Amino acid sequence: MFEMNGEVDVKMKKKKKIKKKDRLEGMKKEMDIVSVIHKTRRRESWREYGLTSSKAAEVLERDGPNELLPPKGTPEYVKFARQLAGGLQCLMWVAAVICFIAFGIEFSRGTLGCFDDLYLAITLITVVVVTGCFGYYQEFKSTNIIASFKNLVPQQALVIRDGQKNQINAMDLVVGDLVEIKGGDRVPADIRIIFAQGCKVDNSSLTGESEPQSKTPECTHENPLETKNIAFFSTTCLEGVATGTVINTGDRTIIGRIASLASGVGNEKTPIAIEIEHFVDIIAGLAIFFGFTFFVVAMFIGYAFLEAMIFFMAIVVAYVPEGLLATVTVCLSLTAKRLARKNCVVKNLEAVETLGSTSVICSDKTGTLTQNRMTVAHLWFDNVIHAADTTEDQSGQSFDQSSETWRSLARVAGLCNRAIFKPNQESLPIPRRIVVGDASETALLKFTELAIGNMMEYRERFKKVVEVPFNSTNKNTLMLSVHELEDPMDLRYLLVMKGAPERILERCSTILIKGQEMPLEEQWREAFQTAYMDLGSLGERVLGFCHIYLNENEFPRGYKFDSDEMNFTTSGLCFAGLISMIDPPRATVPDAVMKCRTAGIRVVMVTGDHPITARAIAANVGIITEGSETVEDIATRKRIPVEQVNRRDARACVISGGQLKDMSSEELDEALRSHPEMVFARTSPQPPSSPPLIIVESCQRLGSIVAVTGDGVNDSPALKKADIGIAMGIAGSDAAKNAADMILLDDNFASIVTGVEQGRLIFDNLKKSIAYTLTKNIPELTPYLIYITVSVPLPLGCITILMIELATDIFPSVSLAYEKAESDIMHLKPRNPRKDRLVNESLAAYSYFQIGAIQSFAGFTDYFTAMAQEGWYPLLCVGLRSHWENVHLQDLQDSYGQEWTYAQRLYQQYTCYTVFFISIEICQIADVLIRKTRRLSIFQQGFFRNKVLVSAIVFQLLLGNLLCYCPGMPNIFNFMPIRGQWWFVPIPYGILIFVYDEIRKLGVRRHPGSWWDQELYY
Amino acid sequence: MAKDAEKSTWKDTIWNPSTREFCGRTASSWGLILLFYLVFYIFLAGMFCLTMYVMLQTLDDHKPTWQDRLGTPGMMIRPRGDTMEINTHNTESWDMYTKTLDNFLSFYNNSLQAEKNDKCTPDQYFIQADSGDVKNIPKRSCQFNRSLLQECSGLNDRTYGYQAGKPCIIIKLNRVIGMLPGKDGQAPFVTCGAKKEDSDKIGKVAYYPENGAFNLMYYPYYGKKAQVNYSQPLVAIKFLNITLNEDINIECRIISNNIPPGSERDKFAGKVSFKLRINTKQ
Repeated sequence: MFEMNGEVDVKMKKKKKIKKKDRLEGMKKEMDIVSVIHKTRRRESWREYGLTSSKAAEVLERDGPNELLPPKGTPEYVKFARQLAGGLQCLMWVAAVICFIAFGIEFSRGTLGCFDDLYLAITLITVVVVTGCFGYYQEFKSTNIIASFKNLVPQQALVIRDGQKNQINAMDLVVGDLVEIKGGDRVPADIRIIFAQGCKVDNSSLTGESEPQSKTPECTHENPLETKNIAFFSTTCLEGVATGTVINTGDRTIIGRIASLASGVGNEKTPIAIEIEHFVDIIAGLAIFFGFTFFVVAMFIGYAFLEAMIFFMAIVVAYVPEGLLATVTVCLSLTAKRLARKNCVVKNLEAVETLGSTSVICSDKTGTLTQNRMTVAHLWFDNVIHAADTTEDQSGQSFDQSSETWRSLARVAGLCNRAIFKPNQESLPIPRRIVVGDASETALLKFTELAIGNMMEYRERFKKVVEVPFNSTNKNTLMLSVHELEDPMDLRYLLVMKGAPERILERCSTILIKGQEMPLEEQWREAFQTAYMDLGSLGERVLGFCHIYLNENEFPRGYKFDSDEMNFTTSGLCFAGLISMIDPPRATVPDAVMKCRTAGIRVVMVTGDHPITARAIAANVGIITEGSETVEDIATRKRIPVEQVNRRDARACVISGGQLKDMSSEELDEALRSHPEMVFARTSPQPPSSPPLIIVESCQRLGSIVAVTGDGVNDSPALKKADIGIAMGIAGSDAAKNAADMILLDDNFASIVTGVEQGRLIFDNLKKSIAYTLTKNIPELTPYLIYITVSVPLPLGCITILMIELATDIFPSVSLAYEKAESDIMHLKPRNPRKDRLVNESLAAYSYFQIGAIQSFAGFTDYFTAMAQEGWYPLLCVGLRSHWENVHLQDLQDSYGQEWTYAQRLYQQYTCYTVFFISIEICQIADVLIRKTRRLSIFQQGFFRNKVLVSAIVFQLLLGNLLCYCPGMPNIFNFMPIRGQWWFVPIPYGILIFVYDEIRKLGVRRHPGSWWDQELYY
Repeated sequence: MAKDAEKSTWKDTIWNPSTREFCGRTASSWGLILLFYLVFYIFLAGMFCLTMYVMLQTLDDHKPTWQDRLGTPGMMIRPRGDTMEINTHNTESWDMYTKTLDNFLSFYNNSLQAEKNDKCTPDQYFIQADSGDVKNIPKRSCQFNRSLLQECSGLNDRTYGYQAGKPCIIIKLNRVIGMLPGKDGQAPFVTCGAKKEDSDKIGKVAYYPENGAFNLMYYPYYGKKAQVNYSQPLVAIKFLNITLNEDINIECRIISNNIPPGSERDKFAGKVSFKLRINTKQ
């Protein structure tokens, strides 16, 4: 036993060394703990005695506790450092260092105003650190969301050690321990069964199989996932008892390996992350380019090296949109909150936007598209197929229940049924009550409860005498029971039977039609066959029902019925009808699928069900549309062999797991390309070749942005691999939730559609917000360019720029996230991530060279006004810089012959900063108004509908006033209390911005596709 | 393979020969967009010029619209500088100062003043009001004769006392249009002192004209256009027995009942300070 463990350990260690990618490949090929399965050396004494406590402690010491370690996170300080070392941040660091150097040199020279450089350096560092903290906090919060999903209740296990049964914490289990499990327990580790009694295990969280697997001590298969003698960690034992030895614990368990496999698949960068990075690179590049150009120009003109460095830094500060990252983060987290209200929890903020660009949704069937509960869908009696109500809230139409046959059929269905409601659920609506019993019996119980009424009491009236349940061992596909009749005078016994329809029919000689027993003639047999086929083709599970009143003389009261001997009539029965069941689609799903279709999103269904069932459900929810045919359909219709059908004629395609396994990547790509409607059925539950993973990879090769839904552990690699992984909140396993970017709390597919809508909206709004944020960089930059080239007194200071970027303009840019959609965004095709970029050429050109230019002119108008009205005419300003900035010149003459000291000129310069600031603010108010829409007129969108935006404008004005008029501002932030008149100078330019943009939008609306539209629509 | 593809796309973005695109645009596309921007910027520049024109029209030629920064006039010394270090034995160390003063005071030569400016009534403002819309231009200015500076006029002592180690410094008050520096007929005057630790080293200081006053008749100033020959009044100070061979920090300030004290941060508003050192050793 222990050598074997050593062997496994060595294998594991070897595996760890192999790189993650290879590991993935390795996992795909084989899941080999096969060796473990065969080596079943049993020692009877040990079997009862178990490990000794000391030995267990020793092994525990060696192997560590039996728990899944969370995927290794990056250390906190690294995460924080990463936030401080982005592209923009590095640029800011450089700027801060330049400031410090400038301060140092100027301070040693004793220059007046050298502390400005120090303040600027400190401000820059503060900006970097504060935005860094902000980003870190966001990341920290999302990590905490994941942590909160972990179940903190410790799991218990019944273990035999030192010959005694103990309840211990499952964490303390070690390899070699002898554990007992029983129905309802979670399997506490990977266990090789050495004794089992009717033990069935639900592997669905691991493999996605919904059918319970029976576990026995025999090794039946090479593959550990197929063999019957291994029960896996984290699966649930449904019924029976079993004893086994622990063969793997913790991360070495199958599930642990899959979970670590999931963390091994690289987390693909979200499209918006790529977008923003791409954009930041461009900005940083441009800032350095401009800065360097002007550095060289300044050096060439004859400025000192230090001055040129300060120009460089100032240009960097002016050009870098410091507030952008914060704006984007806030916009995204706002949307995430909005989504959370609609039951989508977003773990990775950027995923919100990714969802908007989704072009393929790869959805699991069970639980997402369907209700995940078997429900009676159709009944066949009186030679008619009746449809039952399958809606979740029983709001649908019911069928005619007046027939006598119906009553008999319902009685058989109700009586020949072992399922029972758990007690004390009377207050719950019937479909939501918890039932003990298998899926189809549950469905029948609920159905009869709804149709007839209290079934528990009904069964009391028909006392059960004997019962022969389904028995998979002796291949009995029938179930029957014998009951007394409710009428105490009627001493006959009633035998009821259900089972596979053809087996039931074999035992019948009559059939109930309209309450009359008719001989089962050929005509009825044919009718039965047609109905059976019809229901089967709907993908439904069909059961046949029959009954017989046992002869009173032959079976008098007190007759000893023997379930083993079957000493009673089991043929010549009377056929009552067929009932078919299906896991019905959720009511909201067809609508949501339809919405996806109009939004240009493909929905691909993946399920473990039989292809026919899969197809039926797909057709039901609209994944396969009416009139779409598969290759097989065309073959049947044209009566030609499947091979002769042109594959391109078939819109729909159902591929089974077996076919998928044999397909090459190219064939799969081709299939996905040529069939718009795809269903993958009977997908093998084997994690290594997890079908979703293959499908996702294929879709991504075709350039799609793929969203994948999943709940089981086996889905987690696919969830990771997908552009956006969506885990189910209710049914989902921890591993799936861990790997996912988003979690649907209500497991409802319709929520994804809401998510898509929000994602698209945030993309549009982010675009607007970024356009708004970028615009002001030009009026921030041009003062420097004019200052260097024309040598006017500096119109705008660095600290003022930072105040615009980080104080007054943040709120308005965030408020654009609250803007309503301009048009029905769900009727547009998903954006092409390669072409429709967040920041495209026309957006940048329009913001920079048009609106930004107007703003610059507004700023300079106000600047020259303030200068001229204080005595400095525009022409005098030109070339004035060297005198103006001469610290020793205390009597510089203005245009009127008045003489100014240096400090007076400095405060005048601050006044200029302030008027330039005010001009940018006024123009930015016009800017935020025009950014409300990209195409529609603002009059169509409404000025005041976005309340947040209105309050943001008010806030911006108030903050502007505070900065201007709060005492002490001149010496802290270089703001001067300016004359009220100067507020009004930039207003004509604000109006110009507004009118010009209205003209632009008018042109874009009137002449779509024209030159105007191409150049000016962003 | 992939690298080659990348290379070509990179080249293509600059010049794509197949579509004849330069930086993603064809020649006609470039032409159109440049034309658009040309028109756009001409319009903007036009609008800018228009607003500037309108703004300039609102300005008065003779008085600035606002004088927010000039509440306290600045003070300045001649010769300029924060520190003066002279050596009585070394002519070169003060030669440039005397030259500066000669130059500066040449405008105040009595003959020139008599020729250009009027004799005014002392101790009262020389107000030349406009009569309604008719501007009273050009405005006359009062004579400030160089001889008023007496020992510091450079007329008697051409070295302004520098050679003797009793240097002259000339102080002027910055021109501010319309400023009336004293009320109730009291003229503002300059007073100089040493900073704390140097207070006993400064010795006796002589002021010219007497009391170091700026006579009210030189105010108000009407701007360089209206009052072309304005002679800015001066005050000269002469250090009669300053401690030699030591740095002495001197601060002069204007004493007036009508000039608000300047801001703490402006070291030249209504005051001026400098460092003086007179070396007598070789």
